Amino acid sequence: MSAVLRRCLAPWLLLVALALPQVQAQVQAEEIAGILGAMGSDTMAGLMLRWGEALSRQHPGIRLQLQASGSASAPPALMAGTTRLGPMSRPMSEAERRAFIERQGYPPRELAVARDALVVVVHRHNPLESLEGHELDAIFSDSRRCGAREGVHQWRQLGLDRPEGRIRLHGRNAASGTHGLFRRIALCDGYFRPEVNEHPGSAAVVAAVAEDPRAIGYAGLNHLTPGVKALARRDSEGRRHFPDPEAVQRGDYALSRDLYLYLNLPPGESLPAAERAFIDLVLSPDGQAIVEELGFVALPEARRLDQRRGLGLDEAGS
Amino acid sequence: MPDSSPSLSVRRRLRQGRDRLATVLVTAGGIGVILALLAIGVFLVVEVVPLFWSTGATQAVSPEALWSPLAGPDDSVGHRWDPTASLAAGETPRVSLVPLAWGTLEAAAWALLIAVPLALGAAAHSALFVSSRLRSHLKPTLELMEALPGVVIGFVAGLVLAPWVERHLADVLAMLLLLVPGLLLAGGLWSCLPPRLQQVVPLGWAGLWLLPWLLLVMVVAQALSPWLEAWAFDGDLRQWLEVHLGLDIAVRNAMIVGMAMGFAVMPSVYALAEDALSGVPRSLVEGAQALGATRWQTLWRVVLPAASPGIFSAVMIGAGRAVGETMIVLMASGNAALMTWNPLDGLRSLAATIAIELPEAGPGGTHYRLLLLAALLLFVFTFLVNTLAELVRTRLRRRYRRLGGGT
Repeated sequence: MSAVLRRCLAPWLLLVALALPQVQAQVQAEEIAGILGAMGSDTMAGLMLRWGEALSRQHPGIRLQLQASGSASAPPALMAGTTRLGPMSRPMSEAERRAFIERQGYPPRELAVARDALVVVVHRHNPLESLEGHELDAIFSDSRRCGAREGVHQWRQLGLDRPEGRIRLHGRNAASGTHGLFRRIALCDGYFRPEVNEHPGSAAVVAAVAEDPRAIGYAGLNHLTPGVKALARRDSEGRRHFPDPEAVQRGDYALSRDLYLYLNLPPGESLPAAERAFIDLVLSPDGQAIVEELGFVALPEARRLDQRRGLGLDEAGS
Repeated sequence: MPDSSPSLSVRRRLRQGRDRLATVLVTAGGIGVILALLAIGVFLVVEVVPLFWSTGATQAVSPEALWSPLAGPDDSVGHRWDPTASLAAGETPRVSLVPLAWGTLEAAAWALLIAVPLALGAAAHSALFVSSRLRSHLKPTLELMEALPGVVIGFVAGLVLAPWVERHLADVLAMLLLLVPGLLLAGGLWSCLPPRLQQVVPLGWAGLWLLPWLLLVMVVAQALSPWLEAWAFDGDLRQWLEVHLGLDIAVRNAMIVGMAMGFAVMPSVYALAEDALSGVPRSLVEGAQALGATRWQTLWRVVLPAASPGIFSAVMIGAGRAVGETMIVLMASGNAALMTWNPLDGLRSLAATIAIELPEAGPGGTHYRLLLLAALLLFVFTFLVNTLAELVRTRLRRRYRRLGGGT
């Protein structure tokens, strides 16, 4: 009896044992396939695309479709349900958050996915090394809310004998997240001078500064080129903070910020599989390696693990 | 014979039907265009009106804020455009459209100042003086220039031309100073040539043999510029301008925009003006010359007045394009909302502002409506330019109809 059983059943069992993992794998792959829509920040466009590529390598069924039309386009799209991921280079404003809650009944889920910093750059031959907060404000603003007594228009007002003449100002266009962040931190919520040349991208700012010894500008950290020099920020006790990754991660360098990913996730529900896979990747060591590869700064380790726990993502391998 | 008459009547009815259909289609097309134009205007007005009342997402903006200057912290009074920063609660809105309108008109004025003399000169030259073989090559080439996208021109102007001009300001000035004397010298030398040599380099081909001469003038200008700078400007032109005239020099400035946009506008002005000039009947030209007028007199007294309606509309179409042009101003102007007469300082135009800021402005918000107001202003500008052009053109045409020229 047992011999018969063994003879009859063994091949079947063997077959099932062999086939089961394959079936399971197939089910898993089928489960998370499809198009993952994302709409938002153009600062994060490169980052999102690289994450999307890495995700498609892990799960060939998933494709990320990105529309990088600026941070302000993310909240309306998330609200209307036309996109599932909203990358933003700034936190949602109070008004945007209120509108979201009014429409959906719950707040959007906010995730910090990387850190970024703004660097103040000058031409590589400029002797200037560092600026204090109120000096930077006196150069860029005509409101001077950070406490400078008079505006700085000429290079010699900074105690330099070279370059001569007026300081030429370059920056991002109003309404970009970069412009808003610089205004909030470096100008103490003041106003830019009308003389500031507004460029439609950080790369254009850096290019303009790189070709003009009398120029100064601000741009995203990941756009630094050898043609320009990033200035350190001097605090009131004379300590210099260079925009290096450690200082940005710790927040010692004042002009740093988080980059966010917003989700439309009702409370108590767990993430749909595709989003789950994407965020799992973003908050993994591999995902953060991509962040550093693109010139941004990775999240502090504790914060990354904290957010993973918050979403109920099991940390693989640790 | 009897069986052909029904088919004939059917054919006639078919033809009438087709006729009627064509009429309906043409009328519908015409009305459609007018309706679309009206709809744009109505849409803009409807979207802009809530700007002046406080409703939901929109915060009311007083009309004075749109055109009155603000006092700055250091007693400087000026118009400011900074909507994103200043629309937060408790701040005075800095939403003056005046600097943007100023920038638009300034850019267009510089572009026309550069494009119109060159385009009209080229048109007069190629309509009356050039050998027909050269002309048949010249015209398509110039019209090909029109096909260059604005982005490309703006890119070259902003990233290549602007830094070069800034570094070689004295060279550029020397070239401008030497250009006219150089050309006059070429004319003088040509008239001194023996007739046999004049046959070798005929006037009709001046467009070609002047090129190496111009190149020579430029090389001479470049060689002379250090002397010029040392003699007249204390060795540094930029410094001299800043100290003696108080002029700020921006890398991307109104001059660069004028040059780039002039380059973009020139082909269309040229093409229309050339058509108008060559449309003047040969009989008029030959009549004038038979009565003893020189070629210059013929051009100045006969051809130009006869073609003036066409030339005027050519210039106005150039003006319309210069006012609405976006990408060139966006890339070559630096987008600093200033109001100065200084051609070496930056500017910011309405169109460029809309292009930069609209994608980031939330629909329905105050900023969004402000930008639509800017669009409405732009619409009104171009509408006025076109209406003025049409009025002057019809009046000129009536006056010069006797001459039988112009379109």
